[in-house]
Amino acid sequence: MAEFQVPIGPQHPALKEPISLRMTLDGEVIKDADLKLGYNHRGIEKLAEERNYIQNLYLTERICGICSNSHAMCYCQGVEKLMELEPARRGLFIRTLVAELERIHSHLLWLGIAGHEAGFDTFFMYTWRDREVVMDLLEIISGNRVHYSINTFGGARRDIDDLQKQKILDGMEVLRNRTNYYLNIGVTEPTFIARLSGVGKLTKEQAVSLCAVGPTLRASGVPRDVRKDDPYAVYAELPFEVCTADSCDVLGRAVVRIKELIESYKMCEYLVKNLPVGEIKVKAPRRVKENEVISRYEAPRGENMHYIKSNGTDKPERLKVRAPTLANYAATIEMLKHGFVADIPLIFAAIDPCICCAERSVTLIDSKTGEEKRMFFSQLRKWSIEYYTKKPKLTGVTWPF
Amino acid sequence: MVNRILYEKAKINGCNMAVLKTLLYLFVYPGILFLFVYSTFCEWVDRKVYARLQNRYGPLHTGRAGILQPIADFIKLLSKEDIVPEKADKGMFSALPVFGLTIVTLVAMYLPLWHYSVGTVSFNSFPGDLIVVAYLLTLPTLIFFLAGWHSSNLFSTLGGARVLTMLFGYEVPLLLAVLSPAILADSWRLAEIANFYQARPLLLLVNIIGFFVALICLQAKLERVPFDIPHAETEIVGGTFTEYSGKKLAFFRLMADIEMVVGSGLIATVFMAGFPGGLIWGLINFIIKTLIIIFLLSVMRAVTSRIRIDQMVNFSWRWLAPLAVLQLLIVIILKGILK
Amino acid sequence: MTDENIINKIKDTLQSKVIEITNPAPRRIFVKVNRENLLETVKFLKEQFSFTHLSTITGVDKGENFEVLYHFANEFSVVTIRILTPRAEPKIPSICEIIPGAILYERELPDMFGIIVENIPDSRTLLLPDGWPQGAYPLRKDWKYERPPEIIPGEE
Repeated sequence: MAEFQVPIGPQHPALKEPISLRMTLDGEVIKDADLKLGYNHRGIEKLAEERNYIQNLYLTERICGICSNSHAMCYCQGVEKLMELEPARRGLFIRTLVAELERIHSHLLWLGIAGHEAGFDTFFMYTWRDREVVMDLLEIISGNRVHYSINTFGGARRDIDDLQKQKILDGMEVLRNRTNYYLNIGVTEPTFIARLSGVGKLTKEQAVSLCAVGPTLRASGVPRDVRKDDPYAVYAELPFEVCTADSCDVLGRAVVRIKELIESYKMCEYLVKNLPVGEIKVKAPRRVKENEVISRYEAPRGENMHYIKSNGTDKPERLKVRAPTLANYAATIEMLKHGFVADIPLIFAAIDPCICCAERSVTLIDSKTGEEKRMFFSQLRKWSIEYYTKKPKLTGVTWPF
Repeated sequence: MVNRILYEKAKINGCNMAVLKTLLYLFVYPGILFLFVYSTFCEWVDRKVYARLQNRYGPLHTGRAGILQPIADFIKLLSKEDIVPEKADKGMFSALPVFGLTIVTLVAMYLPLWHYSVGTVSFNSFPGDLIVVAYLLTLPTLIFFLAGWHSSNLFSTLGGARVLTMLFGYEVPLLLAVLSPAILADSWRLAEIANFYQARPLLLLVNIIGFFVALICLQAKLERVPFDIPHAETEIVGGTFTEYSGKKLAFFRLMADIEMVVGSGLIATVFMAGFPGGLIWGLINFIIKTLIIIFLLSVMRAVTSRIRIDQMVNFSWRWLAPLAVLQLLIVIILKGILK
Repeated sequence: MTDENIINKIKDTLQSKVIEITNPAPRRIFVKVNRENLLETVKFLKEQFSFTHLSTITGVDKGENFEVLYHFANEFSVVTIRILTPRAEPKIPSICEIIPGAILYERELPDMFGIIVENIPDSRTLLLPDGWPQGAYPLRKDWKYERPPEIIPGEE
């Protein structure tokens, strides 16, 4: 069969968010892959230059839905350093707790997606059911399931009490049992293993030279984790190990994530049991003097990096966001080459792509199309104003009680 | 004279009865009406079992416990807009779903349910009908391939190519597995095979390997997980059905349901001693036996993940084909001993 | 390997090529070099301290000049190389030969700042849509967003 091109995306059932991958195929084998970004740009970096610091905290949270805490916490840490502010210790513990719970929810979500992409829908249904446990815990702590908004300059926004602590401990116990069960499935289900192992090879040298991050890098046998290398929040005193795998394939990435889940349960229990007493936050100034800072954070998908430059006002001069998915794209292209068509969704899903994270730079507004009578928004607005100025005012109207 | 008139009348009546019976056979049971109702019921069973195994509820609202959901889906699809792509071969594109539906419905005619007698040869039961059924069950695969090819969509074409590749994997083991009971029964006629095993139920145990091989091959033929490779949604969107919509898609889905029923019917006939007992008991037998097979298929669907096309072909030739040959050997040796 | 080790070694080896070197916080080192010496510095960092991981490349609009920051990380520290390139002639060399993973970050710079990256292996636009106007670079400070006229495809 001659070589031909297959477009994967911008709209494709395997992709939950828009991105365009163009595959050059020879039969079922991928010869080359190309990537086009930019379908999901919202202009957050530009927008951040026009908002003040506290507004930006909530803006950065909205960079991503799945790892919402990671961007907000990364930004928050950076600004605290700019402000030369020492955050409250109890606040830091709560922040770290939410960060780890978020990692649990993200990894469980990924496990389900991996099952779905491999055509193992039962696994998908089971993991997502168990993910509800951690989603409920996050809701108990923060009041929200997606955007937790737990970070604020100088600490955390919400405290946790003894009942919540107990619920977290119970939840961790349930999840640990379930995760061991999944680890077991991973070992015993032959069709699942057959689909995952040997797929999307990325050698250690390639992973390092292409600057891969997170579980993708660790599954290639490189023990690099920002939580260990460059400890932030309270990670310096937490007991945990950096999980790696040497198989360099999708199975390795799955194993790394399952192991990290177990580490996260351990960390959450430690955080809850050793929660210090005291204030949860300290007061933060509004203005920040001129300086620059690099803030790093280990998001569920890998190293997340914010570069913040201040100029003495209450707005940042520049906010650069580098989400982990962007760092893994170069490696993904390499992994896709010489694979099978059947492996595209698996390989692409294996980096846990969060496309809205990776794209954030340009403001774009689509043209709106009307249904029957097409009308521009500007016209529509004008028309509505005219309509209501001409129309006689209604009199004698009462509330329809 | 009167006697003669009465005799003639009775003959005409008998003739009419035969015609009526044949018409009933074609249109009511096991013809179009029964197949439609029963195949949608089987889809409901399949969906419900699959859902319960996944810790979900499955269909709930249409009818009692969602039992009418497949019919509702069918009607809804019929009412949807029917789009034929501009580049597609319009004649083939529109004709294929109807062909497919006709073929799988035709297969049901050859299952020995009622309206046949072992002694005489009739239009629905004759020596060699096993081969006819096996042949007719190959045609839907070809129809899927043609449907993919004539859609002129990249994903459909890929799906079509996968359909054919898979065909090379499962077709031979399926045929070998189905043939071994026939060899033991010394007949190529489904009714006689069923009769043979009804008389000697213990001999069914001999064919147990063939039964599982045939079950796995049937799963592959029906393109369900773990063999849903030709329309793996996360890889090639809708596969062969990417361009199909509305009525044509509805026909294809109904075709897949009926194929499931007749496929499990074939396996029940050759491996589970058919459906003895005439109209009523035969029907009950049919329902129980096909439901057992459909349940097994649903469980297989729930506990496995999709495999790759190369793994599938590998698996069929490394495991299924040798196992089917082994079954054949067992049967031949046993036949020698029995004689 | 501590920050002081790294700083001393950079100072010793590169000597006058380093314009400024600061260490504002633990594990954060900022090295300022001329853009002519960028490749040499990157190579030196990679070979001597195994700074193989390029975290990202940041561009900053400073009016007269563009500042380009290369954030390198290894297990011990984050070294940021800072170079300046004049607005009139915004050209920087590509580091893809040394760090292959830099390609996506380098492709972002021409899109957002109009900085020309020389010898880049792949010079297509990365983020901006097709038909984006020439000379409009969104992250420059003088770029203001104006709502474009609405165009409905298929209508005049």
